Amino acid sequence: MTLTHLNQRGEAHMVDVADKPESRREATASGQITMQPATLALLAEGSLPKGDVLATARIAGIQAAKRTHELIPLCHALPLSKVSVDFRLDEANSRVEVSATCRLNGRTGVEMEALTAVSVACLTLYDMCKAVDKDMEIGAIRLEAKSGGRSGDYRRDAGGAVAPPEAPIVTGEGAAGEVSVGLRCDLESPCVRVKCLAELRESLGVSELSVALDDLPTADVGGLKAALIERDPRFSRLSEGRVLCAVNQVMAVDATPITDDDEVAFFPPVTGG
Amino acid sequence: MIRVQQASFDAGEEQRALLAGRTDIGAVVSFTGLVRDFNERPEVIALTLEHYPGMTEAALGEIVSEAERRWSLQGVSVIHRVGRLAPGDPIVLVVVASEHRRQAFEACDFIMDYLKTRAPFWKKEHSASGDYWVAERESDQRDASRWER
Repeated sequence: MTLTHLNQRGEAHMVDVADKPESRREATASGQITMQPATLALLAEGSLPKGDVLATARIAGIQAAKRTHELIPLCHALPLSKVSVDFRLDEANSRVEVSATCRLNGRTGVEMEALTAVSVACLTLYDMCKAVDKDMEIGAIRLEAKSGGRSGDYRRDAGGAVAPPEAPIVTGEGAAGEVSVGLRCDLESPCVRVKCLAELRESLGVSELSVALDDLPTADVGGLKAALIERDPRFSRLSEGRVLCAVNQVMAVDATPITDDDEVAFFPPVTGG
Repeated sequence: MIRVQQASFDAGEEQRALLAGRTDIGAVVSFTGLVRDFNERPEVIALTLEHYPGMTEAALGEIVSEAERRWSLQGVSVIHRVGRLAPGDPIVLVVVASEHRRQAFEACDFIMDYLKTRAPFWKKEHSASGDYWVAERESDQRDASRWER
C-alpha cells in the first residue's frame, strides 16, 4: 500500500489522472451534530432565529462539495454530476444525522467531496443554531461507501473492502466453465485479468485468465488482443466481427490504455431486455 | 431504483412503491417485457440470462441518468431478471413517472431501447431443437439510434 499523494521523494504532489480511464464514481459520507433536545425541537419546528436551518445546511453542503478542490490542497476540481445532502432528526439521541452522496463519471474518486459536504453541512447547522445552543458537538464524520475506480469498492458496514460481487449467471445447458468476477491477478508480476463472457466464453472455452503486462506489445486493449492471439490463435476471434470490450467495466476500444490489475472483459453484442 | 435479480417481480407493486406518498406525479408509464415461446426458432422451452455483475448496474444507472437529463422525470424504476426463465415469465420492468404523459412515454421507450443495446445481458434460448445464443438484432440498433442527436 502506498500513499498516492506522495511522490518518490516523499513530497506532496497532485496525482496525474490524464491516462486513467473514466468510470462512474460514487461516494457517500455521514456525520452528526449533537445538541440540546430543546434546540432539536426548535430546529424541527423551524422556529430558530436564522430561519430554515436544514434547507440552508443542504445548500451549504452542496456548494462545499463543488468547491472541495479549493479547500483540500491536492484534490482535483471535479465536474460532479450529482450531489445530494440529507438529514435525519434523531430525537432519541438528540442529534441531526447528515449524509451526503456525490457522483461523477471521471477519473478520480469523490469521497473527499462527500466528506466535505457533510463537514460543511454540519458547520452550517452549528452556525444556524448557535444563538440558542453553544454546546453542540460535531462528530463521527466518516466515509460510508464508495464505488468505482481502481482501489475497488468500499463499504463501512462490510468491514472495509466489499466482498467480490456474485458470479454472473452462467448458462445451464452447454455451460463451458464458470466466470468469477473481482479476483486478483494470479501472476506475481503486474498483469491484467481477462474475462470472456456469454457466447464468447463458450466458443473459446475460456472464462478467465491473467496476462502479464510485460507480454503486451502496447499497453492498451489492442496490445492485449495481440498478446492473446500470440498465445492462442483462436483469440483472433477478438479482432473479428462484433466483439465488444470493457476495461474496469467501462466500454473500451483498441486504443484504451491498460494498467496493472485492470479487469478487461470481452463479450458479444448484448441481447437483454 | 435499479435492481438485477433472479426473483420475479410484481409490476403493480413496483408502480405503487414508486408513487407512494407522491402527489406531484401526473403520469406513470410501466413496461414489462415477457419471455415468448417463439423467437429465432419455434418452441422455446426456456431461456437463460447471463450478465456482467457490476457493469450491469452501472450501465443501467447511466441509461437512467441519461433519461433524467433528457426528460423531466419524477421517478424511475428498472428491474431486470437473470437466470433461467420460462415462457410467460416477466424479464424486465421499466416504470417511469413524470408530471406529464409525453415525458413518461418517451423516457420509458428510450430506456428500453438503450437497455437492449447497451446493458450487458445475454440471452441463451433452450428450444426443442437445441440451445443457441440469441443474436443481436439490427432493428434494436435502429430503434436505439432514433434517440441520437
